[in-house]
Formats: sequence, structure tokens, C-alpha cells
Amino acid sequence: MADSSPNTFGGAAGLASVNLAKGFVTIVVSTLALIVLCVIFAPSAVTAGSLVGSLPFASVLAIVGLGQMLVVQQGGFDLSVPGSVSLAVVIATHMPNGNDAMLLQSVLVAIGFALVAGVLNGIMVAYFRLNAIVATIGMNALLYAAVFAISGGVPRITTKLLAGIAGGKTLGIPHSVYFALGLLAIVSFVLKKTVAGRRFEAIGANPKAARAAGLVVKPYQAMAYVFAQLLYCTAGILIAGITREPTAFQGNSLLLPSVAVVVLAGTSLLGGRGFPISVVIAAFFLNQLSQFALSIGVPYSAQTIVQALALVFGIGVYSIDWTTRFKTATQSSTEEENP
Amino acid sequence: MKLSNLKACSALAALGLGLALSATSASAQDVPSWCGPNKATLALLDGFGGNSWRLVTTASGKQEAEKCPSITEYFYADGQGDTQKAISDINSMAARGVNAMVVFGDAGPAVLPALTNAYRSGAVVVPYRVNVGGEAGKNYTRFIGADFVYDGESWGKWIKANFPDGANILFLSGPAGNSQGLDELKGMKNILDDSYVFLNPEPFAVTNWDPSLTQQVLSAAIAQHEDIDVIVSDFGPSLVGALPVFGNFNRSIPALATSDGNSLGCFWEENHEANPDFKLFTVATGNDNVRLAVQWAIAEATGGTPPEKEIFEAPNFEDSTDGDPSPVQCRADLPGAIYLSSQLSGDDQAKAVGQ
Repeated sequence: MADSSPNTFGGAAGLASVNLAKGFVTIVVSTLALIVLCVIFAPSAVTAGSLVGSLPFASVLAIVGLGQMLVVQQGGFDLSVPGSVSLAVVIATHMPNGNDAMLLQSVLVAIGFALVAGVLNGIMVAYFRLNAIVATIGMNALLYAAVFAISGGVPRITTKLLAGIAGGKTLGIPHSVYFALGLLAIVSFVLKKTVAGRRFEAIGANPKAARAAGLVVKPYQAMAYVFAQLLYCTAGILIAGITREPTAFQGNSLLLPSVAVVVLAGTSLLGGRGFPISVVIAAFFLNQLSQFALSIGVPYSAQTIVQALALVFGIGVYSIDWTTRFKTATQSSTEEENP
Repeated sequence: MKLSNLKACSALAALGLGLALSATSASAQDVPSWCGPNKATLALLDGFGGNSWRLVTTASGKQEAEKCPSITEYFYADGQGDTQKAISDINSMAARGVNAMVVFGDAGPAVLPALTNAYRSGAVVVPYRVNVGGEAGKNYTRFIGADFVYDGESWGKWIKANFPDGANILFLSGPAGNSQGLDELKGMKNILDDSYVFLNPEPFAVTNWDPSLTQQVLSAAIAQHEDIDVIVSDFGPSLVGALPVFGNFNRSIPALATSDGNSLGCFWEENHEANPDFKLFTVATGNDNVRLAVQWAIAEATGGTPPEKEIFEAPNFEDSTDGDPSPVQCRADLPGAIYLSSQLSGDDQAKAVGQ
């Protein structure tokens, strides 16, 4: 990681004119460097069996990250991730209660809840101009109330069908990976190749300019929250299938990583362009990082620190203008040397 | 005639006061020795009540209190994982003048001042399972802990019996540094010598008792270690989602020493034939710890004879190798998230967890 950062940075600076590459190149180079580190120091972390075990979690994180990215693109933050993921988990396990025939209904109900939560979030933030953090944290509490109302905090075992759909494998690759890639394709296509998607990004970058250009801003801002909820819901249903006996609070551990992957992918926290492919790679990166830490057997405290450092690294690369900083620093130090 | 009148009267009084306890159910059984003659009220205070283990435990505590007709009123409060609420629950029960309190002090020493105040105001205060600091007779009446060293020793003995020549052990516990895991490790080390190697980082692999983290930790460990002979975990059901990972490596699930859970028992039944090394040993998951605490609290408050034990030692429950004390149990008709080791019947537990 540490070794790779200067190279990475050089690569990014070299491509500074092609603005597209900064986030993508950084995360790809970091990920490749991490894989090389794994091969050298923790070969077990990159064996097929290990990847099959850990990729489902990377996929879930990738999907949640895509949702968070949409919100961050509109300059917001969605703190309702834990509630909505947990609610989807609980609905997908409680309603069918082991009965495969009920699975479809439960998925539809989960999607219904996600839509309601997303619309409410969207209205509060886009139309009532509530602070996104405040609005979504309130929504999170409401969603958790629903989690308790439905489950009483007690998990149920996933139906066999859902376990097969979400936790199964085709051609040796976990299904959740296909889900993540499929959603990535959809999100990328809509964002980059459709009129609505292009407007969405333009509005995120500068809502005032977009309004001046004649775009209707609010519906786009609100839709970010709706689609984000749908993605969280999908992630929750996948978790329910992957972990056979999930807890009722399965979304709790996803909030911070969801923001982390968005940041690592180079999305500006002030809004603007999104980098769906980078988000998915960043999810793989974060997941692989923790597998690496687990495999070399560092203590838990160190694992947490390693992840935090990755986040700081991500923010550091994107948020600080290193080229100017570096120049000013050298200039001032030369000045100090020759008073 | 007179007696039945009295019974009817007391039943009416009970109804009138809106009591949770029914006089008839209490009088139907023999009154246990820990239930003294003095009337008292009892409160069960939970730091966090929102999972199946807690729901079963709460129902067990209530059932135990119902055995004693001297308990005239029974209260329950759920701290909902919020230390402030847990403290204010304790204070409000003390202010109501509840005679006896059984407290699951999840927040640890943070609830000690509130417990001390309640104790000083004259209530019988019995914290259980989670150490809250302080000392008996000064801050509270008595602490009814669970002996996790004993759990570790039980697992150690089983491992030694099944792997007499040493074994590679993977030990999974909850959050980093939790005292339960540390005590269990101490127990295992009391029994197992150096020929038993712990593959996990010292002192245990951190899983937060979360099934998805457990799955990730286990994937990494399986990939890293070719030869895991035994997995030890202090929360068996959290492994149910993770154990199929061995299949990804075309390896048999190894022996497992853990605590019980219906879903785990059923998982074993479904999978042991395809996994020749999958032996299962469980100790009771300890829902009945609350019963001992309730007995102590009631004995102290009603003038009964306190139980002999002050520490709950989880009995061995299932052993797939010799069926002693019980073969692996699975009730496929009941929810997975119940604990057949509990004294509360499976059907009552299903009711308690709302299914």
C-alpha cells in the first residue's frame, strides 16, 4: 500500500489532463499492488477458495457503495444504509419463514419499503431542503423501528431458494458477484449513456448552473435517494441469502465502508461525477485488504487501523491538491534554507 | 372451602392489581425452598433485549419468578442497548420501591452507581452474567456470574478426549478483548498442553459474534491453514452460515466445540454424513443463568433459603461422538434461533421469540 502510493500518484498526475483517469487509475493500481502484496505475503488470501468465500461480501459492499455513490453525487450523505439493509434482510427472512413460495412476495414487500423510504428521503432533502445527514439519520431510526416491529430483533433462517439464488455459484463464481456486475452495468449505462444520467451528473456537479440551463433539479436530487434505497435493498436481500442465519442488524457494519468505497473511487463529497466501476473495484480492494490483514494474522486493532489508513489515503489522494501543495512546500523550504 | 375462597380472592386481587403472575399456576406446584414467606416485588432489568437469546432468557426469568407465590408483582425493562436508558430503568425501579432487582448489566461498571443507589435504598440487587465491578454487600447484594473458564475447560476436555495426540485449534469469539473469550481461553489452556496449537492470532479470532464477519474470518483462516482439526466458538449458531465455506475448499467441516442452538443442531444433522470429520460438542448456551439469579434475588427478598451455587456453570449439552449427555438435537419444526439446552421448553421458546 505505502509502496504503491507514490507510483500511483505519479500515474494519476501524468493523466491529469485526462480527468477521467485519476480515481480509476489510483484504485486499480492500489488493488493490483494489494494483490501482489497478497501473493508475496499472504498467498492464502488469493486462492480460489478464499476468494469464493470473501467475494460475496465484496459484492454486497459494492452494491451498497453504488447506492451511496448516487447520493454523494448529489452532494448528500445517506446514513440510512444500516436501517434499510437490515430491513431488507429481516423482510426477506421473516416473511417467508423458510417457505420458498413466499420469497417473491417478501422481495416485493422489501422493494416497496425501499421505495417508500427512498421517496421520503428524497422529498425531505430535495424539496424541503433538509440537511441530508439529518434527514437520513432520522429515516434510519424509522427503518430500524420497522426492523424491530417485524422481527423483534430475532433473526430467521433464510429460505433454501434464496440461499441458492444469492449464495450459490455458477461456473465457480458466487452469484452475488454476477448481481454486483449486473447492477454496475445498469448504473454505469444509465449514468453515462442516457440523457437522464447525464443530467443527473450535471445537476450533482452544480445544481445552480443546471437550473440556469433549464433543468428541473429537484426530481433528480430526490431520485438519487430512491435508487440508492433500491440498491441497499438488493444488498440486504443478498446478505440474507449469503449468511443463512443473518442477524436483524446486519446493515450496521456497512455504513462506514459504503462511504469509504465512494471516497476511494474518487467521487467528490461535494457532488458531481460518479465512478461506478471504481466504486466496485474499491469494494473489492477494501474487502481484499481485510482478507489480507486476516491472513497475515495481524491483531484486530491493526486490521481496523489498516482500513482507516486506506480511507485516509483515499481522501488524501483526491481531496488535497498535491501538485500545488508540493510546489509551495518546496518553494517555502528553499526560501527557509536561504533566509 | 375456605382455602379455595382464599385462592379465588388472591386470584381476584392479582387480577385487580394487573399482575403478570397467576396465583393458580404458582399454587399448583410445590413452592421451592428459595421462595420465602415474605411478599415482595421483582424486576428483571435487561441492558439489551432485542435478540432471541435475550427473549428466551427473559421468558426463563419470568417463568422462574412465577414458581414463587410470594412475588406479588413482576416488572421487566429493556435498556435497548442504551446505557443511559439502562441506568434510568434501574433508578425508576428503585424509585417505585421494587424489593428485588435482577440486572443484566450490559454496560458493565457504567451501571454500578445506579445499582449501588438502589442497593443502599434497601432493594435486593442481583447483577448477573456481566461483571459490573464493585463488590457484594457494598454495591449490590450478590453477583451471579457465569463461569466461562468452566466452559473453556469443558471444551478442552472434549478436545483432549477426541484428539489425544494434540490438535490444531481455531478459536473464535466475539468483540476484541471481551472477557468471556479470554476466560474461555484460560479454561482451555488449563486442560490442553503445548501439543494443542491455537492457529488464530492471540487470544482469539475476533468475529463480533456477527455471522457475516464470522464467515469472512473463517474463509481467511481456512485458506491459510491446511489442517484445522477443531473449531472452538462461543456462539455456535453464528457458524451455521460460515461452515459451508469448507466446501469451497473441498474439505470436510472439522470437529466443532461450541455452545448450542437449534439451527446448529439441524445443520449438523443435514451435513455430518457428507463431512466425515464433523463431530459436534456443545455446552448449554446459558439462558438458565437468569434462573439462578432470580432464585437468589427472590430468596434474599422473601426470606427463603438461597441456592447453594453463586456461579452458573453451563452443563454439557450435546456430544455427537458418544451421545452423552445428549445426542445432537434438532427440532426442525421450531425456529432456528432457540436453544434446546434451556429449561424453557422448545415450544415456549418459540412463543417467546414470537414465532
